[in-house]
Amino acid sequence: MDFIDYYNVLGIPSTATAKEIKAAYRKMARKYHPDLNPNDSNAELKFKQANEAHEVLSDPEKRKKYDQYGKDWMHAEEFEKARKSRGPSGDAGQYTYSTGQEGDFSDFFESMFGGFTSGRSGQGRGRGFKGQDYNANLQLDLRDAFKTHKRTLTVGDRNIRITIPAGIEDGQTIRIKGYGGPGINGGPKGDLYLTFEIRNTTGFRRDGSNLYKSVAVPLTTAVLGGDLTVDTFDGKAKLKVKPLSQNNTRVKLTGKGFPKYKKEGEFGNLFITYEVTLPRHLTEEQKRLFESLKATNL
Amino acid sequence: MNVKKYIRITDFCKGHALEESFLVSLHEIELIDIREVESERVIPKRDLRRLERLVRLHRDLEISPQGLLAVDHLLNRMEVLQEEVLELRRRLNRWE
Repeated sequence: MDFIDYYNVLGIPSTATAKEIKAAYRKMARKYHPDLNPNDSNAELKFKQANEAHEVLSDPEKRKKYDQYGKDWMHAEEFEKARKSRGPSGDAGQYTYSTGQEGDFSDFFESMFGGFTSGRSGQGRGRGFKGQDYNANLQLDLRDAFKTHKRTLTVGDRNIRITIPAGIEDGQTIRIKGYGGPGINGGPKGDLYLTFEIRNTTGFRRDGSNLYKSVAVPLTTAVLGGDLTVDTFDGKAKLKVKPLSQNNTRVKLTGKGFPKYKKEGEFGNLFITYEVTLPRHLTEEQKRLFESLKATNL
Repeated sequence: MNVKKYIRITDFCKGHALEESFLVSLHEIELIDIREVESERVIPKRDLRRLERLVRLHRDLEISPQGLLAVDHLLNRMEVLQEEVLELRRRLNRWE
């Protein structure tokens, strides 16, 4: 276990005043705060180091102990015994030491100060910082997003089983609480923000919970009307094409769209656009019939 | 009130040991959107992540609401740029 020069960490001389210590800490905290440096483990480490240095140097009692025994920390226990034998000092009771959560401090700190964080009552010093939030992307096929399903992810060295609700959107982010970086100074863990990237190779265009698709309609069906079977996202549906349907006519199949996010059993609509197809080849008879039609000034 | 969509600012402030006036000051500079739903002052849940980040920055770094406005703007820009970099890397990987 190595000695840590807390003055060096904060870039201040050992004669620094409380004001100078605070200013140096603020400067480092601004520079390396995890929220200002997402996904930067080096910044997170520096922030932890600055926090630890501040924890010691801004507390007169800890600083005294550190200054006296810092380089010779193995003898810190003797300091404690001597201090206790002197009885309570004038400012006893000013600090409240708790047996709170184990901190995220160095072995050096824990060896010297007992391994637990302390805090001055009412001033919030020694308060835990929430760990770094992690961001990750998860690719899904549009077909996967159609049904609620479970998926196991590996984040760092942990496996997380999450439920992905049907109807999740491309680019949507969900928060998984407590799966981010470890808390600092006993603070809570950060969160994992998972952003979904949804690939669509289905031939359906999606807009929220509505789906859009174009289908070819033969000329005769468009003119005379008739039945048409179309693909929906999870099956087939029969359509009655009205006589004299125009090209680009759009019809709505209610409830045949995509599931609505977190609204079980509710679906958007499927919009079908007719693409009336003209014949590329005609038999002699068909040609004769079209000429008859032409003769009627159609 | 749709509790899935909104969170009461009294609940948020209680949970984070915050003065409501702090949220009001963020609202006044249009950093967050406080609405009134069924006579309750609420914030949309989708803004929760951003608001928690603002609270941490305010507490840990003593940044004023005006300072948060600038920081938030820059962080949002940084996030957009990071997403662009990720997307470009993905595209590049397809060709490599």
